Amino acid sequence: MTQTVNSSLSRRDARRREQVAVFSIAEYSFVISAASIQEIRNTDSLGGTVVDLDRPVLRKVRHIVERDARSYYVVSGYEHFHLPPSRPTTVLILRDAPVAVLVDRIEEMAEMRVLLALPQSFRGEERTWYRGLTVLDRKVLPVANPLGFLTTRELQQIEEQNPGLLESASMRKERERV
Amino acid sequence: MNAEKSSLVPSFVVFHVGARRVALSRDIVAELIASPFLYSFPHTTPLIASVVLRRGRIVPVLDLGPGILGAASPPARFFLVVERRLSNISERCAIPVQGECELVSGIMLPATGQDEFVAGCLDLNGEQIDILDLEKAIEAGARMEESLIPAAEAKS
Repeated sequence: MTQTVNSSLSRRDARRREQVAVFSIAEYSFVISAASIQEIRNTDSLGGTVVDLDRPVLRKVRHIVERDARSYYVVSGYEHFHLPPSRPTTVLILRDAPVAVLVDRIEEMAEMRVLLALPQSFRGEERTWYRGLTVLDRKVLPVANPLGFLTTRELQQIEEQNPGLLESASMRKERERV
Repeated sequence: MNAEKSSLVPSFVVFHVGARRVALSRDIVAELIASPFLYSFPHTTPLIASVVLRRGRIVPVLDLGPGILGAASPPARFFLVVERRLSNISERCAIPVQGECELVSGIMLPATGQDEFVAGCLDLNGEQIDILDLEKAIEAGARMEESLIPAAEAKS
């Protein structure tokens, strides 16, 4: 995995590389490690597998989606980044978190050569949202933290208000397969 | 004044934030840059409008307008790169400035106004120029911007 460097590029760090997906939400582009993505789907193909949360406690999470006997909380990308409403057409199903992120579209797959630390002047939620910043095609882009879409505290909150929903959805799916 | 004496007189960079002419100690000013590419992405930190990529470094652009003018600065072509001293590190940031910057020598006199972010003042040919305490000006701006957000949300 690309290591974070202290807000500056250097020849040594330029040698480390990481495959990434570039996605967009509203007018912004973001980067996420390809290794953190389990699946990329069109939102139209998810129709029958989406279940509403009984008690949505976070504005950005209102549904769960079932995929291959696992369930994922669907996080609205524009709500997560406090952006104006956009038209998501793509969902990124993450590998190491029970999270599926709605994004407008995938722009490209690329190779990230450097990961720069977010300057300390940034002190808000972005410190959780991003692993750092990178430079692709001479543009500075934020690198999304896959574990930042739903923090441990947020997951706890949803699970407290919707006890067993994630597990029961997965079990129901498993029974259907049997 | 001989060279030895002049080196003891502190230097200041005088510049405009909006219509207000202010100064910063020369010691914390790194450079002045013109028309850099500005990159923005979602975040929640007050005052930061964008970042610039400067010699391989990410430099946040921090608008001092809300703190010292009470409103965002007008669009700028020039940016003064200064060294912030955060808790245990120093970090460069770029301040949008309007018009010309001047490098002047002078003695810092006690502040006369009420602004907490003014460390002192400089007499420049009879004109009193406020010398900023950068961190206090940033804090004041952040407070101002944060106080405007609930008002804007209440309106919408």
